[in-house]
Amino acid sequence: MTRTKKLSLCAVFTALALGLSYAERFIPLQLVIPLPGIKLGLANVVTLAALYRFGKGYAFGILTARCLLGSVFGGLSSLAFSLVGGLLALGVMCLGTKSKRLSVYGISVLGAAFHNIGQILTAAAVLGSWYVAAYLPWLLLVSVITGFFIGALTAGVLRLLPGEVQA
Amino acid sequence: MPKTRFSLWDIFPAAGTILLALLLFLLFLPAKTPADRVEIYQNGTLLETLPLTRDASYEIEGSYKNTVTVKDGKVAVTESSCPGGDCKASGWLTSSGSIVCLPNGAEIRVVSQSPDVDIVLR
Repeated sequence: MTRTKKLSLCAVFTALALGLSYAERFIPLQLVIPLPGIKLGLANVVTLAALYRFGKGYAFGILTARCLLGSVFGGLSSLAFSLVGGLLALGVMCLGTKSKRLSVYGISVLGAAFHNIGQILTAAAVLGSWYVAAYLPWLLLVSVITGFFIGALTAGVLRLLPGEVQA
Repeated sequence: MPKTRFSLWDIFPAAGTILLALLLFLLFLPAKTPADRVEIYQNGTLLETLPLTRDASYEIEGSYKNTVTVKDGKVAVTESSCPGGDCKASGWLTSSGSIVCLPNGAEIRVVSQSPDVDIVLR
């Protein structure tokens, strides 16, 4: 594939991720699971698809660009949270893809869990106390559910994406 | 080729996550002694300690403004100018635990009698 095509695909993926992370604010997940701060993690569909189709370098680029652009709307304080959570999740998902046995479902759950771990670590650093980790068990339990859901979505997307969408 | 079909091995990440959640849950189990104080922190510094027994209100300044209200032995963030509003959504807290407003770096902690112990690690 030409460099231009690769670059355009990455731009489209970044725009999609940005759109999805904005759109999911309007999904009232709190009505089903009443915990403050939880979300589906729709943008992880894009990160996972990029990881599978383009490889980890491109997935890293798309994730970082999404976080930086997203901070234009969310502010600088949210940048640290999305970057630490996102990068930790991507790192663990990269390791997960090394396993020949795990499917996109299991890797998505790993990503969701480590995204939460990364965000709580950032919160602990910002607040200067480990007390916030008391909230992590609830987030982890929810991440199993959302992780499987995002895994199912990504599995569908990977099946439907044309074969030429590949680095 | 990516595996897009669910495999039984995918149970392991899920089970590991649930196990970690249970372990952390036990680790942060609230103390047996009843909660009696509210500690208000911002960016790691203690701003104010309020007794749970007396109705009171406290304003946390900073990038945003949070109003902490103590009423009938319960505490909540009743007003906040932060964008997410998760601190308000946390509702009223009666036993050990905390309400957090991340954009403002604020933490409202309900603690029990022993003032020199934050958490008990077992």
